[in-house]
Amino acid sequence: MVVRYCRARLGRVSGQYHIADDVAQEVCIAVLSALPRYRDMGRPFASFVFGIASHKVADALRSSVRSAVPTQDLPDGPDDGPGPEETVVRYIEAEHARRLLSRLPDNQRELLILRVVSGLSAEETGNVLGMSPGAVRVAQHRALARLRAMAELESTA
Amino acid sequence: MTTVHPLRPARERGPDDGGACDGAAVAGTDALLEALSRREPVPTADPAIALLAALVDDVDQRRSSVSITPST
Repeated sequence: MVVRYCRARLGRVSGQYHIADDVAQEVCIAVLSALPRYRDMGRPFASFVFGIASHKVADALRSSVRSAVPTQDLPDGPDDGPGPEETVVRYIEAEHARRLLSRLPDNQRELLILRVVSGLSAEETGNVLGMSPGAVRVAQHRALARLRAMAELESTA
Repeated sequence: MTTVHPLRPARERGPDDGGACDGAAVAGTDALLEALSRREPVPTADPAIALLAALVDDVDQRRSSVSITPST
């Protein structure tokens, strides 16, 4: 869930998710480091984790690190993954989604990423964001309507 | 008492700007997003759902490996 969250927020650099994955690793280390100070206040543990993840992502966005792109060793066998054309189409669509999401208000963007990309339920998303499940369902409906309007506006422009 | 100018109809407020939301529409959206969050297939005729599905698909993929084409 943390990896998905970081990937959705930070996107790819030079076609790869290495920075987002590094930030996800930093989040895990930070969570482990903070565990001794963690106090159960009745909120789910995920709230604690995504609170740290949100700060780590914000730090990464501020620093906009552009480090060297690691390359993998050549595999010994054929690659069973998607071909170049499918990969590029998927990349373009995902970047389009990220661009439109970045134009949503912060709370709506965070909600959609947690709910859809990180795969949290409405209840879990509400716990992270301090909202009731009902408020999450209404807010996600509004966020989706706004995203739809932006997508339709772009397609007709 | 609220007055409405006859030549200037009250602005319609949609679900994206704080207006009232239809309960069935909210439930429909929740069902779609729940399916997306569970990585189940969803209809992609809706451009917003299609965008989110593309993002989910991209984020879920494992680190890309190098493609090689055997020389002939």
